[in-house]
Amino acid sequence: MINLDSEINELLTKSPYILEDREKNQILTGILKIQLENAVENNTHIKNMFSKQGIDISSITKIEEIPQIPVQMFKYFNLSTCDSGNIVKILRSSGTTSDNTSMVPLNKKTVLKQMKSLKQILSDYMGNKRKIFLVIDHEGINNSVSEFSARTAGVRGLSIYAKDTYYLLKEENGKLTLNEPVIKEVIEKYSGKDVYAFGFTYIIWSVFYKQIIEKDISFAFNDILLFHSGGWKKLKEEKVSKEFFSEALSSVFNTDTGNILDFYGMAEQTGIIFVDCECGNKHVPNISQVIVRNPYSLQPCAVGEIGMIEILSILSDSYYSQAILTEDLGYVVGIDDCPCGRKGTYFRFSSRIEKAEIRGCGDTFKE
Amino acid sequence: MNFVVKCYLLDGKFSEQNPDNFAAISHIVNANRRALYELPLPIIIEMLSAMGKKIIKNPHLNKIQGMTYLSLWLRKKNLEQICRINYGNLSYPDSFSKVENRFKLTAQPRGVVCLWVAANIPNLAIISIIQTILSKNGSIVKVPEENKDVLLDFLQELATVEISYDDTNYSAIDIVKAISVVSFEGRNHEISADFSINADCRLIYGGSKAIQSILALPQKDHCETIVYGPKYSFCVFDHAFIESDLFENSLEKTAKDIASFNQMACSSPQVLFFEKSKYQLQHIGERLGGYFANLPEDLRIQPTDPGILANIINIRAKYLLSDDKSVIASDDLSWTILIDNDLRLEEPIHGKCIFLKEVDSVDNVTELITRKIQALSVSILDPEKRENFALEATYCGVDRIVSPGTIHDYDLPWDGILPLSRLVRWTILK
Repeated sequence: MINLDSEINELLTKSPYILEDREKNQILTGILKIQLENAVENNTHIKNMFSKQGIDISSITKIEEIPQIPVQMFKYFNLSTCDSGNIVKILRSSGTTSDNTSMVPLNKKTVLKQMKSLKQILSDYMGNKRKIFLVIDHEGINNSVSEFSARTAGVRGLSIYAKDTYYLLKEENGKLTLNEPVIKEVIEKYSGKDVYAFGFTYIIWSVFYKQIIEKDISFAFNDILLFHSGGWKKLKEEKVSKEFFSEALSSVFNTDTGNILDFYGMAEQTGIIFVDCECGNKHVPNISQVIVRNPYSLQPCAVGEIGMIEILSILSDSYYSQAILTEDLGYVVGIDDCPCGRKGTYFRFSSRIEKAEIRGCGDTFKE
Repeated sequence: MNFVVKCYLLDGKFSEQNPDNFAAISHIVNANRRALYELPLPIIIEMLSAMGKKIIKNPHLNKIQGMTYLSLWLRKKNLEQICRINYGNLSYPDSFSKVENRFKLTAQPRGVVCLWVAANIPNLAIISIIQTILSKNGSIVKVPEENKDVLLDFLQELATVEISYDDTNYSAIDIVKAISVVSFEGRNHEISADFSINADCRLIYGGSKAIQSILALPQKDHCETIVYGPKYSFCVFDHAFIESDLFENSLEKTAKDIASFNQMACSSPQVLFFEKSKYQLQHIGERLGGYFANLPEDLRIQPTDPGILANIINIRAKYLLSDDKSVIASDDLSWTILIDNDLRLEEPIHGKCIFLKEVDSVDNVTELITRKIQALSVSILDPEKRENFALEATYCGVDRIVSPGTIHDYDLPWDGILPLSRLVRWTILK
């Protein structure tokens, strides 16, 4: 019989990308199956789903057979898998493409595991030392207690290694501008020192970068690590590629382009971020797996074939995190053989699935 | 103006050009429509009918969904019937004809018709062009890039049609010369406005947003606008029909109605309502699923927009997670049957995703009808009950009451419109 907590904790103490894919799948499948039993027992919606599809958990032998729930379902159903009395926090993610709000119930155990996981992943990129944390956003983004956007998630998650935090933007009448006094202070105090930064990709580009260039401000952060995420759709519309973005930002900070790190993540899988390695690939940590599925057949895609990204995770026992099908497209680049040395599946994000635009006469019944 | 228009057919020549504006195109089409006007209507019908026969032999055309149907639709008898229903008298488009001994009447073409054709049905442009030809108008068709080859292949073939009638030779090149095929970015207001202002008549297909923006474009004061707007279709079955021998065959035909055009047409059924009968809804769903599974490969597996696939994944999950709902579906996303008893119409998902609902009485369904319901496939066994239901349903807003297997038949009137009679000016001579 597997002792879930000790198994998961053991995985969380290892180097995050040490497991080869086959070995990882074997370990995760065993853990996931136990978690599924718990989910079915504790949530009638999940029980409905399993019974209507005739799924026998004991007969699951491969990780790709774990039933996935589309990420949108967090907007319509309570997917809690633990006693409601144990819920300490409900993440409400506003998302970027819909008016509805996702609800992700968290218990103490899940929150702790998420923090451990994030620490483990970040340490692989920046070591264990606390550093000055520069947030390329305004301070209000971290104030809200009810809403939890991708921006908030990023700031809170990455602050785990923060010695001190500085917000480089300010909000005035709903508009973001440079927080020049803070920027001045940061330049004076920390130029040449070890710092790390986070921002929403589109805000970094459209607000921070453009205003920094306009005001001719430059930094001397040779060893900065700039983590950024989200908003690629808008950047693509502006014909800004990932490479161009990295070059532009590295020149602003006076650092190497390899220190500008794009990552992929979602509020429904808090605790896991998929950060670019030096080869530009996103790696999957020990406690998680990524399957790219053909959007039509739902079967796993071959290496290089674009499909829907599914994220599996063993971090939560408070909600169904075990297999979440995203509405993002990406492709697996390879398995176990990235030149960076990290083991497991490595992949790249391509785009969000565009909302279906019905061009024609077949339409709603509403007048 | 940054004028980015591709013109694929002008003055009978099939070559890509980038015109500076639509005035030049309109001028040529307008000049060439005289030759079309001088062709007697029976000759035009003969040539279109000859084209119908050619479709079957053309390997490019006969593979396209809906083209076999189109070749049948172009039968001489059918075209004559269409003209009779629309004009009342086949001689009106050719000459003045007496009306009840009071005065004479003729149907004159409006001039140049500009057509905005939607992308969801590959042969929609062809069907629209036939109407402008039968009304002897010149046409400029804005065709979706992805469907332009279907129309151009059709017109290229049509241009080769020649017939002899009463010792006179006629060539369909005179028809084709009165047609121009263009494409441009519909969101470009300047180009769209220029296109619109050149029209004597506008024929528009599209969803709500497209229709509203086209209607807001400038137009000539005399311009007539015919709108085939967004519509919705569904089916009802009464218990007597469900329990009759006719049901099985109708269920199979309904599966094909849903599958045609990957459920993207305004005539595609989105919901099936079944009156309570001796059969459980789940059982009916499983039988319908069997017909989906046995659809011909080209109907079962059709290219589907990833956004629609995501919607199918989401709606399947919603029904799986919910109480009192069930799903019968293929392993892949080729077809999905969603079962519940909520008495309502559902937003279309498309991609062969159909909602099945049980109702106490088919009469309950009429309260759901809006003015946007295009076709209602009605399977009610008793003819009198069916006709009474049809009368009430059409009063509530439905345009067409049909039987399973005929929902996509291109009947005229369509959407409540007799298009040929609107594509002409009715002129009198006293």
